[in-house]
Amino acid sequence: MSSRILPEFELLMPQSVPEAVEILAKYKDQAAVMAGGTDLLVLMKAGVKVPYVVGLSEVSGLDYLIYDPVEGLRIGAMATLAQIVDNENVKKNYPALWQSACVNGTPQTRNRATVVGNILRASPAGDCCAAVLALGGTVVLQGTAGKREVNIDNFWTGYRQTARQPFEFAVEYKITAKGGQSAFKRMTRADQDLSKLNAAVSLNMAGNVCQGARLAMGCVAPTLVRMKKAEEIIKGKEITEAVLKDVEAAVKADVTPIDDVRSSAWYRKEVAGVLLKRTIEKALA
Amino acid sequence: MKTRSITLYVNGEAYSLNVAVNRTLLQVLREDLGMPETKYGCGTGECGACTVVVDGGKSILACLTLAATMDGAKITTAAGLEKDGNLHPVQEAFISEHAVQCGYCTPGMVMKSVSILAKNPKPTEEEIRRELEGNICRCTGYVKIVQAIQKASETMASTR
Repeated sequence: MSSRILPEFELLMPQSVPEAVEILAKYKDQAAVMAGGTDLLVLMKAGVKVPYVVGLSEVSGLDYLIYDPVEGLRIGAMATLAQIVDNENVKKNYPALWQSACVNGTPQTRNRATVVGNILRASPAGDCCAAVLALGGTVVLQGTAGKREVNIDNFWTGYRQTARQPFEFAVEYKITAKGGQSAFKRMTRADQDLSKLNAAVSLNMAGNVCQGARLAMGCVAPTLVRMKKAEEIIKGKEITEAVLKDVEAAVKADVTPIDDVRSSAWYRKEVAGVLLKRTIEKALA
Repeated sequence: MKTRSITLYVNGEAYSLNVAVNRTLLQVLREDLGMPETKYGCGTGECGACTVVVDGGKSILACLTLAATMDGAKITTAAGLEKDGNLHPVQEAFISEHAVQCGYCTPGMVMKSVSILAKNPKPTEEEIRRELEGNICRCTGYVKIVQAIQKASETMASTR
């Protein structure tokens, strides 16, 4: 396969959400939805066959990024990573998402790539995915029967598998919880590289005591995962050196990474706990 | 559809085309419109050699854009920066600061530089280097490219 040319496919350019839904109801899993295209086109150049491409760029009204102090953050399907990076409300209230968007891909891809697209790609290495898992929220799916919402905790069902049905597409990602103190960190070789390990945390702090935490890690399992044992360790406690040491040990025991081109299982297992610990420290700084 | 009739506004001129839907903007610019200055480097979004600027100064990658989705878009390529025979300050700076060696990354670098300065007329060195993360250069070590952008920033400020 050549990265110069794309295989043949039929392109559909719906002009509205109902039209897009109709198209998906007709073609189902023969169709791929294209938002920014920065991921899908690479897949197609690598040989993935897609008979029907449904482009969303001419459906107006999907590129919203709406923050409300009470309602939370609503990210439309076509809202780009560049929009996230430029948004002071996201930077201030959901720093984990802002930090992940700042490093995901390159400045050029960020002008087209979308948060919702990153979530739907369901790569276990997704940078924005780690952030949204830590922050919590729901994926809003639209099909012929109307809208339904799936909690992000249940959205990734397996390696690159999601709860989306072939006749639905994701119109929005919604974060309703208050951001808490959050942060994102990752390890790569070069800046525009895929992560070899990434982590995002959201801490609900009352003074020095952590009332609850969502600790998310990527690149250590077939999907992104929450480090539940570590979350239990930290809950209700002051986050001291000793507590962080326990978190680090729990993560190391818990994770089941693999060898791949970016890193080895051994290395990932060695440093995952350290990365998560440092991400917690970053969130508290 | 397998083909689509579109109009692209490239460097200020309108081009009406009937494109196969699986052609990238890069292929259409180079092969259908005969504008080869936008380069093919990797085809997968990592090198930035195919960087062009669209509506309002945003830099995008032509290799990962379907031409058929760009109906009505205003696109600027490196050859479109010249005005009445005068080079753009970014182009002048790339020459004066010796920021070109083999030249292959240069059109992409120049277009990215234009988009950096469109958004942030006085970038710091750190800001420049962060914004250049999507453009790879094998020859220069980036130093003179950064200096060229700083020079262009000064020139453009003084002519405002």
